[in-house]
Amino acid sequence: MPTSSMQKGKKRNESGLLLLVLACEVLLLAHSASAQIYLPQRAPEPSEYGKVILDNYTGAEPGSVVFDHWLHRSMFTCRVCHVDVGFAMQAKATGINAKTNREGFHCGACHDGKRVFEGKTIFAACSDAFNSNDRRCDRCHSLGKKGVRKYGYKEFTAKFPKGIYGVNWEEAEKSRIIKPVDFVEGLSVKTAKMQNRKDFSVEAAYPWVEPIDFSHEKHAIWNGCELCHPEIFPTAQKGTMRFSMFSNIEGKYCGACHGKVAFPLNNCQACHPRGPLWAP
Amino acid sequence: MAFEAKFFKARFWAECPAKFETRLKRTIITVLLFLGLAGLCGVRAVGGPSASASQADAAQESWRTEFYNICGKTEDAMTFSQEELTDLIRRCDSLQPQIEKLDESRKKVYLERLRKCRGLYAYVLDAKRKEKK
Repeated sequence: MPTSSMQKGKKRNESGLLLLVLACEVLLLAHSASAQIYLPQRAPEPSEYGKVILDNYTGAEPGSVVFDHWLHRSMFTCRVCHVDVGFAMQAKATGINAKTNREGFHCGACHDGKRVFEGKTIFAACSDAFNSNDRRCDRCHSLGKKGVRKYGYKEFTAKFPKGIYGVNWEEAEKSRIIKPVDFVEGLSVKTAKMQNRKDFSVEAAYPWVEPIDFSHEKHAIWNGCELCHPEIFPTAQKGTMRFSMFSNIEGKYCGACHGKVAFPLNNCQACHPRGPLWAP
Repeated sequence: MAFEAKFFKARFWAECPAKFETRLKRTIITVLLFLGLAGLCGVRAVGGPSASASQADAAQESWRTEFYNICGKTEDAMTFSQEELTDLIRRCDSLQPQIEKLDESRKKVYLERLRKCRGLYAYVLDAKRKEKK
């Protein structure tokens, strides 16, 4: 008899253990699922990074536009396009169409067939009458068309300094390999040279995360002031904004650019200099 | 002879002023009309602006000048006093209705730019007020 009660007890223990293991597994799964959501997504190939597809009229001729940030950012500051020309930071918020281009706005602000850049006349965007034989349209309306783009990432950036992930744009500018233009005649406003903005260090929200070295100057030179304030960073009061990697991954705060166009969020050390080099 | 000369002189002075005055008036009016017409045609021919077009241009120029005067100072926003910032915001608000009257494309671009620039001034003003407290 004592043997049967011992067996019963053993069975109870086994089922308890099984339940415990199951509960742990459920917890682990839930944790990994949430971690999956809150880990920066694996960055695509640098040639694909920052690619924007404009497909306002899906399927209609002359097809969707492919815009490569890497090509334009080598020539212009972010501010010129996102402030002076008026490109919004969110998809489909600009209201761009062939008419606005033809009238000299959006892409047409530079792509007007007259403006000269680095000795070359910039081709005109969106002619009055679309002609399917006009190969010029394909230079932008290139989604799914092979061999129609004039510039390829590999060849175009061959001489640019490289970093842990693709081109090191900061270094490229410092070494004067690229000279991003901050003024477009007829659109930009001539301003006095910006006074230096103070760089500062930001304490991380969690004690185990290394602090952030933030260069206000670098950001202000490329973005101006109004690109970040107040839309992306709505207050200047220290300690009032609770931003974290979670919010960055969701595309808020630093994540408005980093993780989309500016270096990816996996590049930990770029912001946390004493942090890990790269998170896959 | 002397009598004839005297007679003609008297007749001349009696008739001339009226005739001369009418002719002179006619000539002046004709010349003025001709010059006016020629001037008008000439201006049109070289593509000069008509009065209404130049008025429209001036109106357009005024909003643009004001826009550039306001939004060309964003990079110095931190150096402005609270009063200056308040004034810039007020100018943004009074410029907005003028931009809203522009054509669709222009309106789209410049309203967005104005919104950004007003937002920055409001942001800096807010920061300065909080700093003072």
